[in-house]
Amino acid sequence: MLTLLRDLRRLRRSVALPAPGRGRSLAVRHVDAGSCNGCEHELTLASSPYYDLQRFGLGIVASPRHADVLLVTGPVTTRMREPLLTAYAAMPEPRLVAALGDCALGCGVLGSPQELVGAVDTLLPVDLRIPGCPPRPDEIAAALLELVDAARA
Amino acid sequence: MTPHSAASYRAVVEDALAAGWRFAGLHATAQGALVRAALVDAGGRLRLESVLVDQNVSVPTIVDLAPSAGWDEREAHDLFGVRFAGHEPMRPLVDHDLELSRWTVPVRGHDAYQVAVGPIHAGVIESGHFRFHLVGDRILHLDARLFYKHRGLERAAEQSTLERGAAYVGRACAACAVANGLAYAHACEEALGLRPPPELMRVRTILLELERAWSHLNDLAAVCAGVGFAAGNNRFAALTERLRRLNADLTGHRFLFGIVRVGGSALELDSTAVRSAAATVASVRAEAASAWRELSFNGSVVDRLPGVGVVDAEDAVRLGTVGPAARAGGLREDARAGDPRLAYAGFETVVPDQPAGDVEARTTQRVLELRQSLDVLETLLDGPVRATPAQRTGVEAPIGAARVESARGATLCVVERSGDLLERVRLRTGSYANWPSVAFAAADNLLPDFPLINKSFELCYACADR
Repeated sequence: MLTLLRDLRRLRRSVALPAPGRGRSLAVRHVDAGSCNGCEHELTLASSPYYDLQRFGLGIVASPRHADVLLVTGPVTTRMREPLLTAYAAMPEPRLVAALGDCALGCGVLGSPQELVGAVDTLLPVDLRIPGCPPRPDEIAAALLELVDAARA
Repeated sequence: MTPHSAASYRAVVEDALAAGWRFAGLHATAQGALVRAALVDAGGRLRLESVLVDQNVSVPTIVDLAPSAGWDEREAHDLFGVRFAGHEPMRPLVDHDLELSRWTVPVRGHDAYQVAVGPIHAGVIESGHFRFHLVGDRILHLDARLFYKHRGLERAAEQSTLERGAAYVGRACAACAVANGLAYAHACEEALGLRPPPELMRVRTILLELERAWSHLNDLAAVCAGVGFAAGNNRFAALTERLRRLNADLTGHRFLFGIVRVGGSALELDSTAVRSAAATVASVRAEAASAWRELSFNGSVVDRLPGVGVVDAEDAVRLGTVGPAARAGGLREDARAGDPRLAYAGFETVVPDQPAGDVEARTTQRVLELRQSLDVLETLLDGPVRATPAQRTGVEAPIGAARVESARGATLCVVERSGDLLERVRLRTGSYANWPSVAFAAADNLLPDFPLINKSFELCYACADR
């Protein structure tokens, strides 16, 4: 098991991200508002050994009550509209919203208009846009790190 | 294909099932004019039996003959207004009824209570709602309400060209983009009378196994997460990342989006790229084997797996379970074996030594299938790739149907066309087929084991909801 953990430590040194230790952190709550699961798979790997977002103080938390950032994926389906708004309302202020992936940004969305509400910014004030279909884990990591810097300023 | 009358439709389906055909899917055609049931035989042959939807006569249900038709009939009811005589109660599936009693099974009695989970889950998980009926920690029954992610992709694809339709099907699910795309391409090619030449079959098989390999590694990571074993989770997540990077190196996209096309493939690889891919596959194979060996000696993991969330072979037949979940119960069925449109010569379906149908068997099955996928890749990655387009050899038809084995199980696609335009496309994925099995497997287990049971199936919500 020790070799295993050593291997994992080596992996994350192979990705060019700035060194941790900025002294700030953000708690992120993810909401899937109708994605194809691509953004979720990439977000999951952003926490994997290659990227290890936690070392920058970026953690995924279990409840919007604990969250600074609402990270939303998908074109916002009619059936996810209420749960999304409820999650946002449950967050303490100040709160930020990040739209992850092209669907959440409203570009190139496939689907029936009657099943979709529209881009995340038609419902909530969006502070960070992360384009891509889906964005790669390092792109997600880099964008969220910008948000840490902005929160610090 | 002449539609049956309401009376003879049921008899035809009943006779087919008695003769060994199995239910493979059911859908309403455009504007709900017809209902078509798809049946498959042991050799993977498909046939469609249709019935005219009449304003005055309800379509007879087949849910008592094939319980796996339950979701399909509910979907046809919710999206196309088709009424099925004898399907009682007709619970909403795609429609979200706020009245709890209309979509849950009534469970009453001393100490029985409910736990509601979702649609937003605690981790990075897709949206869906689970309502557990419990006594203490023991699950009596689970009602799953999905379709929070219903985007109306099938309806949106109507009236687009067959070529453009691939975009809708491909975006149904990132984890099954190749499997769904191939099921669609094969169905279209069936309708167009096209046959893939051997080189196209080889490219498509490589793509399908690249997708399966990362998917199975991701599933093994998820099972580790399900028992709270972070080191194992990280190990398999790192391997998943390596294969996603390989996908990007080979095709320019980590999820292989947009590579599968109707009638051909745009992928070209020179021998250097193929050699380097084969080397990556070999190294992932070695690392995955060593990670699995470490895992299988870790008591805190292996003690959690046996006897949990059982779906045995008999259950699997009744529930219409497909893919690794069915094979883990001992059902030796894999749509890859004998698929005439893909390069699976000599492929043999594997099942675990002890096909108990529990979480342990499903986990072992993934390991076996991962090995098999990497074997297929190493065999096929033996030279440069340049596919020639499919050739017209057969007759054209207004309907085409095909089944492709995704990482979660057989995925059926039915395409109905008018010239080059899509009249209707139905995608019935392995996830769609298996969700009822997850609910079945959960019953009689402990609530804290549900995440593990769920992850051992590792189904997509996006694939089911569309």
